[in-house]
Amino acid sequence: MKTLTCAVAISALVAGSALAQSADVPDNLEKLSNFQTTGGAGFTYIEQGGSYADGIKKTLEQIKLPDGFKIELYAVVPDARHMAVGPQGIVTFVGTRKDKVWSVTDRNKDRVADEVKDFAPSLTFTIPNGPCFSKDGFLYIAEQNRVLLFPAAEFFYESPDVAAFNLVAEGELIPPEEASFNHTARVCDIGPDGKIYISLGQPFNVAPADKLEKYAKWGIGGIIRMNTDGTGREVYTYGVRNSVGQDFDPQTGDLWFTDNQVDGMGDDIPPGEINHQTAMGQNFGAPWYGGGSVRTNEYKTEEPPADIVMPASETIAHAADLGMVFYTGKMFPSKYSNAIFSAQHGSWNRTTPVGARVMVTFVDDDGNAITEPFAEGWIDANGEYLGRPVDVANLRDGSILVSDDLAGALYRISYGQ
Amino acid sequence: MKLIHVTSLAGVFFGGAVLAQDLPVGDPAAGRKVAGMCQTCHGLDGYAKIPIAPHIGGEPAGYLEAQLTAFRDGTREHEMMSIVAKGLNDSQIADVSAWYADQIATATLTADKAAAPAACVACHGADGIALVEDAPNLAGETNIYIDTQLKAFRGGKRVHEIMTDIAADMTDAEIRAAADWYAAITLTITASE
Repeated sequence: MKTLTCAVAISALVAGSALAQSADVPDNLEKLSNFQTTGGAGFTYIEQGGSYADGIKKTLEQIKLPDGFKIELYAVVPDARHMAVGPQGIVTFVGTRKDKVWSVTDRNKDRVADEVKDFAPSLTFTIPNGPCFSKDGFLYIAEQNRVLLFPAAEFFYESPDVAAFNLVAEGELIPPEEASFNHTARVCDIGPDGKIYISLGQPFNVAPADKLEKYAKWGIGGIIRMNTDGTGREVYTYGVRNSVGQDFDPQTGDLWFTDNQVDGMGDDIPPGEINHQTAMGQNFGAPWYGGGSVRTNEYKTEEPPADIVMPASETIAHAADLGMVFYTGKMFPSKYSNAIFSAQHGSWNRTTPVGARVMVTFVDDDGNAITEPFAEGWIDANGEYLGRPVDVANLRDGSILVSDDLAGALYRISYGQ
Repeated sequence: MKLIHVTSLAGVFFGGAVLAQDLPVGDPAAGRKVAGMCQTCHGLDGYAKIPIAPHIGGEPAGYLEAQLTAFRDGTREHEMMSIVAKGLNDSQIADVSAWYADQIATATLTADKAAAPAACVACHGADGIALVEDAPNLAGETNIYIDTQLKAFRGGKRVHEIMTDIAADMTDAEIRAAADWYAAITLTITASE
C-alpha cells in the first residue's frame, strides 16, 4: 500500500517535473503491486567505524600507488560490487552478488561516507550487481534476470518504500532456464545515444555449440541495448564470454568493455581483454577464441566468424578484469585525462595468484592501448587476498572510488593535498 | 509427501557409503595442502570468501567426496568446479574432503524453529546443519546459492534422487523463502584440534 502511494506521487513527478521529462519510462505502473513488500521493512545500517574499519585501513597502508596519490577508506559496504555515483553527487549506489543494494552517503562532504544503508529494503533483489544512472537521475539496477528503474532515486532513497518500475520484467532478460549464479553479475550504462547497455555473461567456461544460436538471439555472451522505455531491444555486441565492466569513451562515444577469459588452459593463457567496439554487431571472438588470439580447444577445428575484433589491450591471464571507467576528473595529473581505470578482481585458481589491483590504460591518438598497474598490494606474501577490487567510479571532485567485495569496502583514491 | 522422501534416505546412506569405500581414506593434513587451490573461493577453513561459493567447512566428508567426484566425471557441472575437479586424483579428493570435514560447523538460529521450511528440515536440519551424510549444511549459505541449486534441481541441470523430486514441486517464491531461511542463520566454522 505504501509503495502504491509512492507510485502515485512518482507518476505526478514523471508527468510534471523537468527532472524526469527527458527520459522515457515504461508504462507499467500496475506491475508495482506484484513486487513483494515486507510491509514497511526498516533499513539495515552498516557500522562505519570500529575494529573492522581499522583492519581495512591497515591493509590500505600496504597499497602502492604512483607518487602523489593516496588511498583511503571511503565506506564499509558489505559485498561491494559495481557502483553508480548519483549525477547530483548526493549518493552512491553499490550493487552486490547477494540480495542487497547499498546507498552510500557522504553528508558532511569530508570525502568519507557517513551513512551506508540498504536501498529499497521492501523489494526482493536477486544478484543486483549492476546499478547505473542516467544523467537526469534515473537509477537502473540490472539483476540476474530483471532490470528495475527508479526515478529520482537520489531523492527518494531516504524512504524504505521507493517507486520502482520494470524496465525488463523478471524472467525476460534471459530465458530462466539459462540463469546461473556465476557469470550473471550484470553491469549497465547509459550510452551517448540515451539507450541502456546491459552485459549478459554466458554461464559456461566455453559455451557449447548447441547453445550458440539461442545465445546469439538473446545476446547472452554479449551486450544488449534498448530504449529506456524498455522497447527496441537488440544485441549490440557478440562473442563475449563474461563482461563485467564497460564504459563509453566521453570523447568518441565508443563502447569499451572488459572480458573475463577461459579457464583451464594453463596459468599463462589466455590473456584477459579490454575491448574497443566501434560499430553495432561486432563479434569479439568467444567461444572460438578463449582470450586474445588463443583458440579454445573446443573450437580449434571450427572456422571462426569473419571480422572478429581482437582486444585493444591484453592483460595478464586469469587476473579477472572487471569494472572500468574513463577518468573524467581534473584532480589527477593531465596524463590521466580520459585514461581508463579498471579493476582486476584477482585469479581464483592460478598457481601464483595475479590481479587484485587497479589498472590504468592509456589510449593514444591511433587507438593503441597500454595497460599498467596503478594501485596494487592486495595480495600478501602468502598469496592470500587482503582485498579484491571490483569496480572504479569517478567522484565529482576528481577523485575515484574503488569497490572491493572481499573486504566489503569502497576506497577513495585522490591526488595532491 | 515429504515423509515418502525421508523414508528413501536409507538408499542415500548406502549410495554414499559405497562411494566412500571406493576412495582411499582421506588424510586431513595432506588435504590442507590440496585446499590451497580451494581457498580463494571457499576459504582455507571452508568459510566461503565469495557469494557464489558455498561454505564447505564441516560438511560431511561423504558429501564433499560425492560432489567432487561428480564434478570430475561430469555428472555435475559448474564452469569453475568442473575445471578444478578434473585435475584431482582419488587421494586428493579424499584428502581435501577429510580436511574440510574436519572443521566444525556451528549454526546459530535466532528465528522460531517451527517456521523452518518443512520440505528441508528432515535432511538439512532446521538450523541448516545436515542430519544425513549425503546432504550439505545450508546454514549461512548465500540465499542466491541455495536458490540457484534448487532451480538447478527443478530444471534438471543437477540431479539427485531426493532433491529432484523435492524441487520439482516448488514455486519460485517457495524456493526463495527456503533459501532466505537458511541464509539468515549465522554459521561459524572452527578448527578441530
